[in-house]
Amino acid sequence: MKNFRDIELLSSYLDGQLSPSESARLESRLSSDPELASAFSDIRAARSILRKLPSRKAPRNFTLTRQMVGLKPPLPRSYSFFRFSTAFATVLLMLIFTANALTQIPLSFGASAPAPVAQEAYGIGGGPAATEAPVATEAPAAVEAPSLAMEPMPTASADSAATELPASKEAGPASGSQDQPPVQNQALTESVPQEQSRSQNQALIPGIWQIALLTLGLTSGLIMFLLRRSATQKWK
Amino acid sequence: MDEIALVQSAQSGDLDSFNTLILNYQDRVFNTALRILGDEDIAEDAAQEAFISAFRSISTFRGGSFKAWLLRTVTNACYDELRRQKRRPTTPLEPETKDGDEMDSPRWMADPNMTPAEKFEADELEHAIQHCLDALPTDFRTVVVLADIQGMDYSEVATAARVPLGTIKSRLARARLRLRECLRGFEELLPSSFRLEGERTS
Repeated sequence: MKNFRDIELLSSYLDGQLSPSESARLESRLSSDPELASAFSDIRAARSILRKLPSRKAPRNFTLTRQMVGLKPPLPRSYSFFRFSTAFATVLLMLIFTANALTQIPLSFGASAPAPVAQEAYGIGGGPAATEAPVATEAPAAVEAPSLAMEPMPTASADSAATELPASKEAGPASGSQDQPPVQNQALTESVPQEQSRSQNQALIPGIWQIALLTLGLTSGLIMFLLRRSATQKWK
Repeated sequence: MDEIALVQSAQSGDLDSFNTLILNYQDRVFNTALRILGDEDIAEDAAQEAFISAFRSISTFRGGSFKAWLLRTVTNACYDELRRQKRRPTTPLEPETKDGDEMDSPRWMADPNMTPAEKFEADELEHAIQHCLDALPTDFRTVVVLADIQGMDYSEVATAARVPLGTIKSRLARARLRLRECLRGFEELLPSSFRLEGERTS
């Protein structure tokens, strides 16, 4: 066995990878060194037999389908515009909903207009209490009720509103006692829808914007769907 | 359409052009995988995997030999397959070499006019070569498959096997030497037409 440097030289020589001078040197050694010549024969034999190895045909075609490589149909350029407008409308709509929801929490307790609400509530509910004062005193709660309703009135502000309104609501039934239940009920039923309509009217962003954005989002989404479908059909 | 045009078209996403390239190269790709992996079914999977990853990464091809670039994805797929087999050692790596039945079921036809005896002999030779290839370390096997079985030049082998030219030279020399020694054990089995040249010339 020759050293590995020689084996590498012989292998490269076989492939014609040696320079002319290297080749000439190796050739003269090959003619004078039988052991080297034998090693060369071995390497040449190995290469020769590998080259004779028959080539097999592929057992099947390896051609690819669009599904295999995850290709998607080419979409028209306008598709990205509609995708943007859908996303834009959706995000804005969500922001509006959030903003309105946040501003409506304090509104439901009369945050923006606490005084008039309280006044109304008191005026309607508290009215009978004043006229029926002697009767009202029979109930211990009735004595306190008007004062609770009256107290915050002069200093009514957005901050105190939250506590103020429930108090005025209490004032109605308590002071009204059993004498005039129809009036008292009316006062309650009137005051609640009023609050709601007020809070709706005073939503941060008007409803028309929400409708417009919803329409924009839905329309763009529909166009996107149609574009995608027609692209897929054309592609097939 | 010539190969460069097909490659450029495939690079712009045209799958049909790439499929034409696949049809041109699939025998070569399958054979490379088969000789590196030594199992037809696994080689089939590796070849398919190689074509998929070649299409996905065709934008990284920057000219030169497309064959070398493609065979590089094949050797990668083969290495992935060999790593997978190492993790799941229950799957035998060389089922054919220990399975005598495989010799009796020739699935290839080098020459349709061969007599059954010739076919048997040719099968035996192929089997013996594959056995010796399988005995080589993977890196040596890859180099010798690319250079001697696929007939690629050194620079193409260097690209396909991702190793420097100097390493190719030494791996090829070692692999040939080891193969010669291994094939000596099959000398008597081999038909005269496939006798090693070295025996005759020396």
